[in-house]
Amino acid sequence: MTSFSTPKPLSHPASDSFSLSATDRFRHAARRFLSSPGPYLGLTGIVSLLLFWYLTTELFALPRFSKLPGPVAVWTEFTSRNPTYGTSLFSPEYYKHILWSSWRVAQAFFWATILGVPLGLLMGWQRKIRDYVFPVVELLRPIPVLAWVPLAILMIPGREAPIIFLAFLAAFFATTLNTFLGVESIDESYFRAARCLGSKPRDVFLRVVFPGSMPYIFTGMQIGVGVAWFSLVAAEMVSGEHGLGFLIWDSYVLSQYPVVVIAMVTLGVVGYLYSAIIRLVGRMLMRWTVRTGG
Amino acid sequence: MATINWKKLRKAVFSKTVYRGTASIAVLLALWELGRWLRMPILGAAPAPSEVIFLLREIVFAPDFWENWSASFKRVLTGFVAAQIIGIPLGLAMAINRVARDTAFPVLEIMRPIPPLAWVPASIIFWPTTESSIAFVIFLGAFFTVVLNVLGGARDIDVRYLRAARSLGSRPQDIFFKIVLPATLPSIFTGMAVGMGITWEVVVAAEMIAGKSGLGYLTWSSYVGGNYPLIVIGMISIGIAGYVSSSLIRLTGKLAAPWQRLF
Repeated sequence: MTSFSTPKPLSHPASDSFSLSATDRFRHAARRFLSSPGPYLGLTGIVSLLLFWYLTTELFALPRFSKLPGPVAVWTEFTSRNPTYGTSLFSPEYYKHILWSSWRVAQAFFWATILGVPLGLLMGWQRKIRDYVFPVVELLRPIPVLAWVPLAILMIPGREAPIIFLAFLAAFFATTLNTFLGVESIDESYFRAARCLGSKPRDVFLRVVFPGSMPYIFTGMQIGVGVAWFSLVAAEMVSGEHGLGFLIWDSYVLSQYPVVVIAMVTLGVVGYLYSAIIRLVGRMLMRWTVRTGG
Repeated sequence: MATINWKKLRKAVFSKTVYRGTASIAVLLALWELGRWLRMPILGAAPAPSEVIFLLREIVFAPDFWENWSASFKRVLTGFVAAQIIGIPLGLAMAINRVARDTAFPVLEIMRPIPPLAWVPASIIFWPTTESSIAFVIFLGAFFTVVLNVLGGARDIDVRYLRAARSLGSRPQDIFFKIVLPATLPSIFTGMAVGMGITWEVVVAAEMIAGKSGLGYLTWSSYVGGNYPLIVIGMISIGIAGYVSSSLIRLTGKLAAPWQRLF
């Protein structure tokens, strides 16, 4: 009889890197990153975009392009201590607009999470609730959020509340439906096991439904912040008096074109930061879903 | 196969789920109607369902109403088709060529977080007519989704297919037409369906801000003109239009990629 001995773990050259210190590992990764063509090509892409923008609008001033503000004009306005149109890195107005928009999105996001996550969980947990709620949600969802603008202004008193409502509505659908999908995605055998072992419905809800749908909830929240931000811009453009969307539209009406570009870029950067923050929080709260090396 | 299973159908139609769904929608409509007649704070400000239905009976026969439909559809189609024509080849090129991907991807990632509607003023400044500037904003709305979906689909291809094809002597164009293209087809259609949803969202807002016709303009102008039931008709029309166009794309996708069908 041949005896099967457990094979010795082979020492792999790559496993040595685990013994390296964190800074060394970082240096390794950085060196490998910099010796690949990727970052240089990416830089080329971005530089050629800026170059295209500069050449068409400022240097050659091609027929239609010359009306658009060029990168140099935008940059000088943005970094000027005494900006021509009153909006730059050093003007308090710039930060006020950012804060207004952020505050609105924060409120909308808060309400969407507070209402949407429990609703989605209940819908996934109890068939009865799903039967009652799901058709209404599905009926309202195909209507684009921005088509609600007039009705929101009509129905909701005040000037702030309709804008927040629009951003809320966008985030609410994303959060609710993703949470619901999250509960649906939980393996049926978890429910059976919990019930077999004598869990009360409340325990099933708190220990199976809620943690099981966490990854989807965070995906929903991330999508929610994105669409809330997207709808907020439109709502502010149509009926706002502060905020980045308003800034874009107001500077367009006043022909302060460099400010339009400044506000556009700011919108992109701030929106990106929000979804990055949520992704980070989600990853910290759900260590168990993080794939190795991912 | 063509015969309908009546027993199953009856079971599906007269199920508890359907009753409950119908009940909750009916209750919602009744509340809305009641809120209007009792002048409740928030619901009372919205036009009641009965008013909407009353107006709907007249408006279905008005040609102006249908002109708004076709105006919006034309805009959506122009921007959407342009996004497909440019987006799909770009996505495929990025998928098969590393240099193209490394160059174009950071540029796309920088542009993508800017909401399409933030482009409206810049678009109006640049393009000579309102029509072309709205089409451009719609194009942007669909473009990024399409490119990223095509790229994502192509990157999900099992490497073993590519290795097998290459070791059996396939030429690059064979790999492209027999592996890359069919494998990405489902995600191309997913991208198109998602893009279509964004497109309707964008067209409504663009028409509200800078349009002279279309369903978004109809909704906004009936608010300005004080014809409140028409707002709701506008909203419902937009919902139906968006839903129908997305469903059409999904259906086409299922027909184009029959191997993806589960039943």
